[in-house]
Amino acid sequence: MQELDDYINKVKNLPPAPRMLPELLMLLRQDNVDSSRVVQLIAFDPAITASVLRLCNSAAFAGANPASDLSEAVNRLGFRQIYTLVAAVSGARALTPSQRGYGINAGELWRHSVTAAVAAQLIARRQGDDESTVFTAGLLHDIGKIILAEALEHIYAKLVEDSQTQQAALVESEKRLLGVDHAEIGGRLLTRWKFPENLVTAVCFHHHPEAAGPHQRLASYVYLGNMIAYFMGQGYGHQAFALRGRAEALEILKLKASDIPDLMIETFDQLQTVDTLLSAA
Amino acid sequence: MSPQPLTGFEQKIVVGLAEVKVSNDPHVTLSAYALGSCLGVAIYDPVARTGGLLHAMLPDSSVDPARAISHPGMFVDTGVAALFRAAYALGADKHRVIISTAGGAQILDTSGCFEVGRQNGEALTRLLRQHVLTLHAGQTGGLVNRTMYLNMATGEVRIKISGQGAEEILCKNSTIT
Repeated sequence: MQELDDYINKVKNLPPAPRMLPELLMLLRQDNVDSSRVVQLIAFDPAITASVLRLCNSAAFAGANPASDLSEAVNRLGFRQIYTLVAAVSGARALTPSQRGYGINAGELWRHSVTAAVAAQLIARRQGDDESTVFTAGLLHDIGKIILAEALEHIYAKLVEDSQTQQAALVESEKRLLGVDHAEIGGRLLTRWKFPENLVTAVCFHHHPEAAGPHQRLASYVYLGNMIAYFMGQGYGHQAFALRGRAEALEILKLKASDIPDLMIETFDQLQTVDTLLSAA
Repeated sequence: MSPQPLTGFEQKIVVGLAEVKVSNDPHVTLSAYALGSCLGVAIYDPVARTGGLLHAMLPDSSVDPARAISHPGMFVDTGVAALFRAAYALGADKHRVIISTAGGAQILDTSGCFEVGRQNGEALTRLLRQHVLTLHAGQTGGLVNRTMYLNMATGEVRIKISGQGAEEILCKNSTIT
């Protein structure tokens, strides 16, 4: 634990915590939530409110008339859709910058994260699970990379070499060279940001969801969303495809390998939504 | 020395996911970004100076026949057919075209469940064999995410690997001089 905190504490410009998300997620889980409470919570941050309104009036979400204020937007789109927009706006700032230690250019980690989140969300919808939690986990699964990128900047050549010579997943090479990996760092960061345990665990185990204990399902959605993002080209940096296939993720969600092409095509159909969410950056 | 196209008139045209694009405009460079496990296939007729680029996502259109009609470029089988048809319409000749490919990155998978990258590459190999066509150059598989460019003036195909700075030449110069 101390080792994880040490890496987090070393980072000079830690992005602001997406504080609103844990609270909004808690509201989502309750029945009969008064939408004015939701509006109140979001309106507390004027910058987020303005961005959410802009997104909600963009092509993928807009109705015939633009929503002029937040309560109208919540009424029109529903709380879940608004939540998706708030999550995108909150995650954009942290995930947009380049991560040189990984060879990831500006915007690429953000594109990867949004694609993974949208893919994970549509699988959850299909299986009847809570899609907002899945979307959040998908969006933030690689947040640990923004911490490790700095540490990797001077040794990325070693990381690439380790992955190549050992035929190792990037996450395994990180662990070998740094003693920690981006998944556990991401989980630790979310704990410090007061995210609920299910999200922390899902992020921590997104490369081996079978080990996520009671949160296997959530971790499996993230694993598959991540994989589908890769299969649509949305995985960047050195040795971008150095990750392992985990058939367990499919088994946990009662899916088959032959479902993957369908899931990719469904995600393809959501690319307009992906583009809209990307413009949150 | 052959005259170079005027700089400033060069136009990068993006071949997006599941798209096929052809051109005979020497100012154009067709570009398929971030192929990952997807497969890029370029064809170029050095006499007609015509060619095109495919950015296919899945190997086999039988998983979704309706989609194969609305988006033939989504699949390697229907995409390659669409690519050749579109290039023929611009005057390309089957026996002159130079074929190259890149992409098909394959994750580390022993389960056999996540082999889209490998399957995309194999689908192309099968298809070319069926039609007795030769692959001129290819860089597929592995753990890297590639971008592919086809320069319509020269027929040169370049590759850029994500995380690396420089582009490399996959298929030098297809133009007969």
